Order: sequence, then structure tokens, then C-alpha cells
Amino acid sequence: MPPRLPSPARRPVVGGVVAVLLTTLLTAADMTPERRAFFESKIRPVLVKQCYECHSADAKKVGGKLLLDSPGEMLGGGESGPVMQPGKPDESLLIQALRYEGPEMPPKHRLPESVVNDFVTWVKMGAPDPRVNAPKSARKPAPTDKTSLWSFQPVTNPKPPAVATKNWPRDPLDAFILAKVEAAKLTPAKDAAPAKLIRRLHFDLLGLPPTLEQVAAFERACSIGNRQSAIGNLVDQLLASPHFGERWGRHWLDVARYGESNGNDGLSRNASFPHAWRYRDYVIQAFNEDTPYDRFVTEQIAGDLLSAETPAQRDRLLVATGFLAIGSKPAKAMNDNFDMDVVADQIAAVGNGIMGLSVGCARCHDHKHDPIPARDYYALAGIFKSSETLWGAGAYEKLTAPETPLHELKAAPKVDPASDKLTPARASKKAPAKPTFAYAPGTPLAMGVREAKTVADCKLNIDGESKKLGAAIPRGFLSACASTTNAPIAIEPQQSGRLQLAEWLTRGDHPQTARVMVNRIWLHLFGHGLVRTPDDFGVYGDRPSHPELLDHLATRFVADGWSIKRFIRALVLSRTYQLDSECDASIRSADPDNTLLARHTRRRLDAESLRDTMLVASGTLDARPGQGSLIQHHDVLINQMGNLHRPSNHRSVYLLHLRNSMPTELTAFNLPDGTAVTGQRDVTTLPTQTLYLLNSEFLVAQSKAFAASLLKSSDPEPSRIRSAFVRTFAREPSKTEVQQSTAFLRSAESGLMQSQTDSETRQHTVWAAFCQALLASNELRYLD
Amino acid sequence: MNTPALSRRELLRLTSCGFGYLAMAGLANAAGADLTPRPPKLTARAKRVIFLCMSGGPAQLDTFEYKPQVGNKPHPGSVTPFQQRGQSGAWVSELMPHTARHADKLCVLNAMHADTGNHAQSFLQLHTGDRLRPCPSLGSWVTYGLGSENQNLPGFISLNTSKPSVYASACLPPIYEGTPIGVNGEDMSKATISNISGEHLPLAVKRQQLDLIQSLNRNHLNARRDDARLEGVIQTMELGYRMQAAAPGLLDLSNESQATLDRYQVGKSYDVGTCKPSDFGRQCLLARRFAEAGVRFIELNHGSWDQHTDHRRDLAANCQSTDAPVAALLDDLNQRGLLDDTLVVWGGEFGRPGLTPGDGKDQTGHSHRAFTFWLAGGGVKAGLTHGKTNDTGAECVAGKVHFRDLHATILHLLGLDHENLAVTQGGRNIRLTGLQGGKVVREILA
Repeated sequence: MPPRLPSPARRPVVGGVVAVLLTTLLTAADMTPERRAFFESKIRPVLVKQCYECHSADAKKVGGKLLLDSPGEMLGGGESGPVMQPGKPDESLLIQALRYEGPEMPPKHRLPESVVNDFVTWVKMGAPDPRVNAPKSARKPAPTDKTSLWSFQPVTNPKPPAVATKNWPRDPLDAFILAKVEAAKLTPAKDAAPAKLIRRLHFDLLGLPPTLEQVAAFERACSIGNRQSAIGNLVDQLLASPHFGERWGRHWLDVARYGESNGNDGLSRNASFPHAWRYRDYVIQAFNEDTPYDRFVTEQIAGDLLSAETPAQRDRLLVATGFLAIGSKPAKAMNDNFDMDVVADQIAAVGNGIMGLSVGCARCHDHKHDPIPARDYYALAGIFKSSETLWGAGAYEKLTAPETPLHELKAAPKVDPASDKLTPARASKKAPAKPTFAYAPGTPLAMGVREAKTVADCKLNIDGESKKLGAAIPRGFLSACASTTNAPIAIEPQQSGRLQLAEWLTRGDHPQTARVMVNRIWLHLFGHGLVRTPDDFGVYGDRPSHPELLDHLATRFVADGWSIKRFIRALVLSRTYQLDSECDASIRSADPDNTLLARHTRRRLDAESLRDTMLVASGTLDARPGQGSLIQHHDVLINQMGNLHRPSNHRSVYLLHLRNSMPTELTAFNLPDGTAVTGQRDVTTLPTQTLYLLNSEFLVAQSKAFAASLLKSSDPEPSRIRSAFVRTFAREPSKTEVQQSTAFLRSAESGLMQSQTDSETRQHTVWAAFCQALLASNELRYLD
Repeated sequence: MNTPALSRRELLRLTSCGFGYLAMAGLANAAGADLTPRPPKLTARAKRVIFLCMSGGPAQLDTFEYKPQVGNKPHPGSVTPFQQRGQSGAWVSELMPHTARHADKLCVLNAMHADTGNHAQSFLQLHTGDRLRPCPSLGSWVTYGLGSENQNLPGFISLNTSKPSVYASACLPPIYEGTPIGVNGEDMSKATISNISGEHLPLAVKRQQLDLIQSLNRNHLNARRDDARLEGVIQTMELGYRMQAAAPGLLDLSNESQATLDRYQVGKSYDVGTCKPSDFGRQCLLARRFAEAGVRFIELNHGSWDQHTDHRRDLAANCQSTDAPVAALLDDLNQRGLLDDTLVVWGGEFGRPGLTPGDGKDQTGHSHRAFTFWLAGGGVKAGLTHGKTNDTGAECVAGKVHFRDLHATILHLLGLDHENLAVTQGGRNIRLTGLQGGKVVREILA
């Protein structure tokens, strides 16, 4: 059993972003006549003359949401955080700005030294301010807009609505769907035939096709027994398959922006990540073991801080934190913001990936209508800045991403020495750099994060610039997701706060975490999410088509212990999932986007399933897990290496996923580039895909292998044709198809008569061309 | 030996379902999914479009909109020297000396405005009219409306492209989707169409093989008559096949003279700050070749013009990277008589506010309330400057042109009526200029 986190109730109270506002209580505590006089003669006139134009309630446009015309506002600060630390002029942003250190205020010209000194004196006094607080505030967020901030509302547990066709729903979720279908005066499509359904289930759960025997057995089970229990049995069997993790792990790797090299750093250098594959394997294993999602999130954010019972468990937890380290980083060269760029990637992974929120927009300043202010961004940034990110050698290119240590694993097997040596296609003039962090040969290593030596709050970066610093923002979470019922989670001074972040994200009442994940799972089974912008549940994203259903699912998911397998099982056993993709014309015309889900959405296979299915058909698939990675021994710049990919018969998830150099066997069909959270892939239809199917090395090689295996048997031609159809489509060919195939074999034979005189070679070519035609057909690529 | 694309009629016969079904399916309607060229309903002034997409928000006040200082107080404006050029006396920045030669051909729109200063959303709106939802791209609409003059090439090609949503056909059939050549961030000098040829089969057998594939696809489609997208895939298969004959020659620049390659700066790479290598010269030369070959809509991409820091340095690099190639393209189009019926469009998702001379700052943000586009060729008034902004260039004061108006105008020049170029989806009328509609900018029509 994985160790549990301490429960929220046992954690001390207070903390986070709220603390910032407490400083406002210090106003004008010790007002004396002298101090009042000082303020009225030295401070107020300057404020009125130099600052009010932009920083008062009457300003046309308030600069930086900072008001200087009332003491409360002045102490509260603006978008860049508090501007004054009463008693501490050097730490006050106001003074720094007047001194033109960092922000420069007033912008047009620097005030005389004497005036600046007056302000210093005043802040030293404790900033006594006799003005009366004006209630007007530009800083307060606009009243919560319920529709645009829908995802910040607490998750509810709505009752399934009443429906007219009471015997239609099989699962409570069906009632939510049917109610809307009925309201639109439509009738759902019929249930999908067993042959269609088993193909759908195999691809959705494993990413691999069923065999003809499996189809026949399932059809039999459905016809003689109870259909629903036959489906239940099949689903249990599929969920227990090790291929499940390969399929669903890959979905998560899209979210985790997985890649085995840094990708172009902006200066065309692309350093390898030789150990990233361990994170890939961790993800696959986590899905196969049905690691509860709350635990899964916690491990990836704070695995290094969890207790482990065995060295193997410890390894696993360290590898999990690779989630925060595998992101693509810009070059360090000429980049003052490098550290904060690394943090930005981590915030995006957690923000878009787990919360479905684009927190990154707040890196530079507050945004109108967006409930995530810059101070929240820097509250999170403090957590990641207080952590050390371990990405490894960075190909020993100091200007790219300076070398870091890595996690040393204890239980993982020793790594065999490299059997291959990579030499750059372009020889580098520089002598190879010596590693700063050397490990004994064979030491298993992993990317990840750990607590930094210095743990500190992060100062707000004005306009996102690391050299223009505002006030330090206490480490914390998003103020707009504040819990209404649970106590706040405090971050102790010596902790980065990652563990607390994970705890906060996985609290049952977190408004986004469960909603975002159930929507991710839903979209992989139904073709599109209930929210069609799966990575953006914020104000700019889409609204849910079925808000009550989304909440119902989120509630169930959490109540059922965040089990992904059990949740998937419930979804695929629903009536809605099992609908036919063909439907009455009235449904299609009323609902072309299939928002109502009165039918199933026909989908194209993704790049991996497409390739894997071709390997199955050609009989060359090696279904065992791929071991390690082609790049695992090499700290190199990918951009100097030429083609590093090698043919492989393993499933696509194990291919070498180098950023900016993804496997060409996958790129034609919308493989993501691994630089950003990708909850849903694009689906394009392009003539270049035709060219891939007609001419690519992979198709040609698979067709040849397919043909060779067919020609091994001494079967007559019709049996071979049948066998080819069965292997490709898991069904018998129709009479017409046999005729079309035979006709093609004849015409291709005569077409090749001149160019290929050897009859055996010719026969192989003809059959390879035939097999390629089957592999290139729509039936293989589309899932009903 | 090539069989022509399935005509719409053939398709309907093959799938034995009528026109109503296509419309119902939420894909094509009146014009159908068909690349064959068709005459526009209105008088056309242009036959094709070359869109020079300058992503990131080019700084209009230091390129094509001269904003000198007025009054005594320094204010934001142009910080790069400008000169008046040509007969028209149009002001062009010294950063664009080559394009400046063509000042009399340009129709400069100085009062462009858009809805948002958010890159991704404004970029999408520039391309599709909509900021949020997947909608057909301008190039898809044009190809949908007019078909294409070359059946062996895509009607819409996007060079050095960014994300698919900007060249998507969305609810239009996939045959109108932009075909990307080179993806943003890739080395454009090597960008080609992958797998354009294969030696494993003679072309004749490949044709027979494709016929078998298409028979299988039609069997498959016949059992799924409700899905017009599958029909689109069949057409795209044909197009891909035909490209094998036409595309390799067009992408091969080896028959261009060294002088031409030099004029276009082919292979020159600028990698300075935000300015990323895009081999814009190769893009411009390819655009000319595609235009000559009859491609309907060609988009080129260069970026990024998003100079938040180091404005002057990065802007200069962006200008150097694009100026000579654009000028060479205009020269060649003009010399070949193609400029008469080719509309060239230059601009990005928004512009930038000006710098204030002497304040020592070198940073600019986004300006979607006022920025500049220029058009040239096919049916626009040459040497015209249209639209005015205030003294700082921050706000439009006259001749405002929204993206929707630009879209309406581009369609108008091609003989298409933006109000009628529409498809019905789920009872909604989808068109490029959206519910709000756009206005054709009559003042700039020649």
C-alpha cells in the first residue's frame, strides 16, 4: 500500500496568499502631529502631483491596479504586490521605484533625491497616513461571474434528471444524456452491434484491434447470454491487460508533454534526455496498477517527499517527479529569466494539465476577467523555485540548460554499458565537456525534482522580468479556488510546498482536479469532452455541454477513490457509450457536432493505434514492453546527430520521442510535439497522409512482411485473400471484395511483368502492393 | 493515366444519396467537396491570394505607418527614420528599403483593428474570423468558393505553418484544408513534402493499387452513408496521389538561377532574438512558383515580430529577413503579369504601440486597437494610404478596418460575397465574417 498523506484536518491553519492582505492592518497606528505635518507637507503633495494621475480612483486608467489615494489601498498594493513594508524602506517597492531600481516611477522622470529621501523617512516612520480610507477599489476583482468562472464553483452532486424512456438508462450518467436528447425531441441511436462494440472497446482500452476469433466469441457470448454481462466480462479482461497501461499511459504522456530531448532551445540546440523513458514506464505502470488519480498526481508533484517502504518504491516515487523535469526549456544563454522559464513550464504542466487552467497568463500581469492574479502565479512559483529541478547533463551545453545532478535509483537494475556509440554528423570543434556530476558506470538515474537548498518565497517579477522585482509573495495556491469548507493548508517555512500543493490539488473539494480528469477520460471514450477545451476550464475556455453530468461524474470519481479503471469501466458499460455511430438523419442534422451524444462519434485512430494495428496485421508486432530507450546512454545534441530512429516492432509508445525529431512513423497523423499540455490531439485530413500511406518506408516494409507471411502458406489465392482481410479487419471479406482483390492481383501482375522478370519476386511485389492497399484503407483507420 | 478527381455527381451516384444528405451531414453544401475551378458569382479582380503572415504583431509605426513627433512633449511614435517613396509619396521606414521600391504598388491600411491583444486568439481570428471555436480558415473558404486551377496540387498551401487550427477546413470538407509545408520551428530550407515519391512500385501499378484502395473505401462508405467526412478522405487520397506527379518539380529550386536565389535571399537565415530563421526567401520563391502553377491560396509565415524586449534589434532582423524576399516576389509577380490577378496581403494578428523617442526604452507590447496591413495587386488601389490613427498611433480615427472587413474585402476582390459564402451547420449559418458580418472597404477598390 502506498503511504497516505496526513489528512488535511491535522495540518496547521493559515497561510497562502491571504497573508499578504494582513499587512494592511498597520495603518497610521501612531499618528502624531509631527508625523501628520510631515505627511501633509512632504508626502501628500508629491502623491497628488506625481502619482494620482495614474494611481487614484479618479484616474482614467489605473496603472498596475495600484491606488495611492487611500492608506488602505496604498498598503494593500497593486498587481505587483504590496508596495510598502512600513519601517523597511529598502524592502519597499515604492522606494525602489522612486529610486529607479527595478520599476521606474514616476515614469517620465526621476524625482529629486531629496523627495525620494522624504519618502524613505516616511516609510521608516511606519508610513503614517492621516488620509481617510476611500472604499473605492480598482484592485478588487469584479464580482464573480458565475458563467465564466463556472469551474471555480464547488462541484455539486446533482440527481439524475427524470426521463421519459425510463428503461433506457443503464447507468445514472445515461439519464443526464437522455434528458437532453429528449428535450431536443430526438431518439438516441440504437445499440451498436457486438462486432462494432468489441472493436471500439479494444481500441479504446488497449489501442489494439481484436482478432476474428475474439470477435466471434464475443458475438456468441452476446447472443446466447446476457449482452451486458458479456460486455462486463470483456471489459474486465481488457482492463487487466498490460496493454491498457500502454494505451492510457500514452494519453497521460500527451498531458505531461512527454519528450526524450529538450527540443529546440531557441538557438537550435536540442539536448537529449537519456533518462526520460523511466518516467514513461512509470506512467504505464501506474495506469496498469490503477494507481488512484489523487495518489498519481501526488507522486508526480511530490514523490520525493513521500515515504517509501522499499527501495523499489522509493525509485518509483523519484521517477514520478520526472513530470516536473521533462519539459522543454529555452536556452540559458542571454536569458535572465531562465530559472523562471523552468518554473513557468512546471506551472503550465500543473495548471493546464491538472487544473485545466492557464495560470501562465498571470506571469506578466493581472488579466481583466481572469480570476488568477499575478500574485497567485508567484505564490505557486515560490513552490517550484524552492525545488531543484534535475534534468541532467543537458548534453553538457552550458548555454542550453546548465548541467544538473539526477536522482540516483537504488533498486533499479544496473544499466548495461552502451552497445552503440553515437558520433555527431557534424563534428564539434569544442573539446567535450567534463561532467560536473559523475556517477559510477551503470548507475540507474532518473530525472525529477527535490527540495532546493534554499527555500524561499518568490518575488513578483514585474512584467514577467526576473530583474524587475516586486514584493515577495508567500508560497501558496490559487486564491480563486479557496475551499469553502476545508481549512487552508499551510506551508512550513522549511518546505518548498510541493507536498502541500499536491494535497491541495487532490482534496475532494478542489473545484477543478476531478472535473478536469473525468473530462479527459470521457473524451478518449466519446471522441470529445463534455468541455471541449480539455486543458482550459478557465474564462477563455469552453463551457460544459452537460454541466450537471460533469459534476455527477466528478463526484463519483472522487467517491470511488479516484480509481481510473473503475471509472472507465462505468463509462463503457453505460448505454451512451454503446450507441451505434450510425444514426437517423434527424439526429445528425439537428446535432452535427454530436454535442447531445445521441449517437457515438466515429473517430480516426490515433497515430499509435494506427501503427500498432499495421504491425498486428503484418504479423510483426512485438507485444512485449519496449526496454529502455535508444537514447538512454547518450548525452548528446540531437540536432548534430542525424537520424537516431531505428526500425522497431514494439508498440508505438516505446519509440524514441525526441522533440523536434519525432518518429516519422507517427508524425503524419497528428502526434503532439511534446512541448505543451495536449489533452486532445488535432485530427487533420491531408494529402500528405495519403503520401505517407502510399510511399513511406514503414508502410512498404510492413506490406512486404505481411505479403511474405501470406506467401509462406501453400493456400490457394482465395484463402490468402481471406487471410489478409481477417488479419487486417478481423472480418471475412465480402464476395465483391474478393473479386476486387483478385482483379487487382491480376492487373498488378501484368503491370509488373516487364519490370520484374523473376516470377517469385514479382509475386512478392504484387502481394505486398495488395497488403499495402488493405493497410491504407479507411476501414483500418476509422473506428465506428 | 491519371483519373480525374471524382466529380461531385459521381460521388453522389456512388454513394447513392442526394444533395440533401451532404448538407445534413454538416459538411459541404452548394459547391460540394470539389477542387475543380468554378467561376465566382461576382466580377473578380483577383484569382489567387498570397498572404504574407507576419506573426507576433509587427510594429507598424516603425515599418509602414509614419508617426512623427508633434508638439513639444515627446510621445509614442516612429523611432525609425522614414522616407517618402515613389510617385505616391508613401512613407516607408528605412528598415524596408526593398519593399519601399514598390511603394506605388501598395495599398496601406493604417486603421486596422481587432478584438483582442491575445496572440493565439487574434491569430485565429485573423485566419478564421473566430477567436475561440474551430472555424474554416480564410484559405479554405476561398478554395471552397473557387476551387483550384491545378487539380494536382492542394488549393490551399501554408508554408512554415503554426498550428493546424489556423489552416483547418473545420466544417468545410477536408479537401479545402491547408496543406502545410514545413512546420514552424523546422528548418525551412529543407522543408519539403514527405514521402512525395516511392520507388517500390511503378506508377501504373500504384494507380491500380489506389483504385483498389478507393474501391475498398467506397464499400466502407456505402455501409456508412451518414458520414460525409469519409467521402472527403476519399478525395484527399486522390489528391495525394496526384501530387506525386506535380509537387516534386515545384519544390525543386535547382532550375532557378543564382541571381534569382540571391534576389530572394534563399537560404539566408536570421536568428536574432524573437526573429526566427524562416528562410523567408525560399518561401517567397515557392509562393511565386505555386502561384504560377495555379494554387488558389498560398500562406507564408514569418515570426516572431513580438518584440517585447530589444525592440529595435529584433525588428531590424525581422525586416531584413523579409524585406528583400517580399520585394523580389512583387517584382516577379509584376514582371510575369501575375500581380494583376494576384492579391498580396501583408500583416499580422495585431501591431505594437510606438516607442517614445529619447526615453531610453526598447520594449513594446501589443496594439490591437490600431495597426497596419498592406495589400497589393489584384484589384486594389495602388499607392493609396487608407485609414488614420491619432498622433500616437494608438487609436484609429478614420477609415477603420476590422479583420471582418478585411475578410469581406478579400472575398469581394475574388468575386465572392461574404454574406452568401456560407454553410449551414446544425441550423446555424457559418460564414467567414460571422454573425456580426463585415463591410467591403470600397474606398480601396481600384
